Amino acid sequence: MNPLGPQHVRELIRFVGLTRTRELNCSECRDAAGELAERRLAGLPLDEALERVEHHLQLCPECTEEFRALERILREAP
Amino acid sequence: MVISVHPGLIPPSAAESEIIHLAIPYARLNIPALPPPESSGPNDWPEALRAPDNGAAVALLRAHLATRLRVALSDRSDVAEAQIEDFAQESVLRVLSQLERFAGRSRFLTWASSVAVNVAFTELRRKRWQDVSLDALVEAGEQLANETLAQDPASGDEEDRTRLLESLREAIATRLTGRQRAAIVGELQGLPFDQIVSLLGTNRNAAYKLLHDARLALRRHLSDAGISAETIRTAFAP
Repeated sequence: MNPLGPQHVRELIRFVGLTRTRELNCSECRDAAGELAERRLAGLPLDEALERVEHHLQLCPECTEEFRALERILREAP
Repeated sequence: MVISVHPGLIPPSAAESEIIHLAIPYARLNIPALPPPESSGPNDWPEALRAPDNGAAVALLRAHLATRLRVALSDRSDVAEAQIEDFAQESVLRVLSQLERFAGRSRFLTWASSVAVNVAFTELRRKRWQDVSLDALVEAGEQLANETLAQDPASGDEEDRTRLLESLREAIATRLTGRQRAAIVGELQGLPFDQIVSLLGTNRNAAYKLLHDARLALRRHLSDAGISAETIRTAFAP
C-alpha cells in the first residue's frame, strides 16, 4: 500500500462534498449503467434516475472504471 | 422465442448474427429488418436463456461476451486469452443467475456486457490487492487525521482551506470509528470494495452503510463548524 498523501485528502474532501443522504450502491449503478451508456452514446437526455447513476460514478472509482470499459465496448463492438 | 442453431455453426466471432438470420428467414420476410444490436441473437434473450433447450443461446451469449471482453481488456498486457475465455464463461453463469435484474431499459447485450465487465475487473483487482491486511488499513486509518492532513502543501494558503483541513482532522479523529477510518483509507487507496468488505469481515450492504455514514458524519461535522457546501466543493478543486 502506498503512503497516504495530499492527493488522498483532496479526494476525501471531494467525496465528502458529493455525499448525499440517499445514494445508489454499486449493484444499482450497474443495473442502470447500460442505459446510461447507450443514451450518452446516442446523445439522448438523461432523467433523474440516470443522474443518480452519474452521481454514483463520481464517487466510485470501480464503477467508473467499468463504465468506461462498457462505453468502449459500445463504441468498438456495438 | 428460442433460436435453434446447429451447435457446429456457432463460431466465436461477430459473424454469428448472420447465422441467426439464416436460421430464422421468416424474420426477414415478415417484419422490417431489426436494428443491428437486436439482430445479434434472439429477439428475446431472457426468454431464450430461460428455455430448457437454451444451449444455442448460451453458446452465442458466451461468444458475444468473449468478443466484448477482448475489446474492454485490449490495452491490458496482463490478461491472457485463456483468462478472457474464463471471464466469459463466468459471466454467462452470472448473467443466467441475474436475469431477473435485467429491466429492459437497455439492449440485453449491453446489460450482459456490464455484468461481464464487472466479473473481469473484480477478479483482476482482487489479484492486485490480495496481500493487503486489515492491520495495515487500520494503521493507515489512525494516521489519516494526524499525519496526512498536516502534509498537504496547500494548507495555510487560504483561510478556508486551513479551516476546512482543521475541521476535517477533528472530524476524522472524533466522529469516526476505527473501522470507518480503515474503510475510508481502503477506498482512498483504491482497494477493491469487495476486499474492503472481506477485510472488515462484513457484507456489502453493511460496508456501504459504514462508508456512507462516515462521509455523512464528516460532512455534518464540517457543516456544524460553519463550513459551507460550496467551500467543501471548491476549496481544493483543481
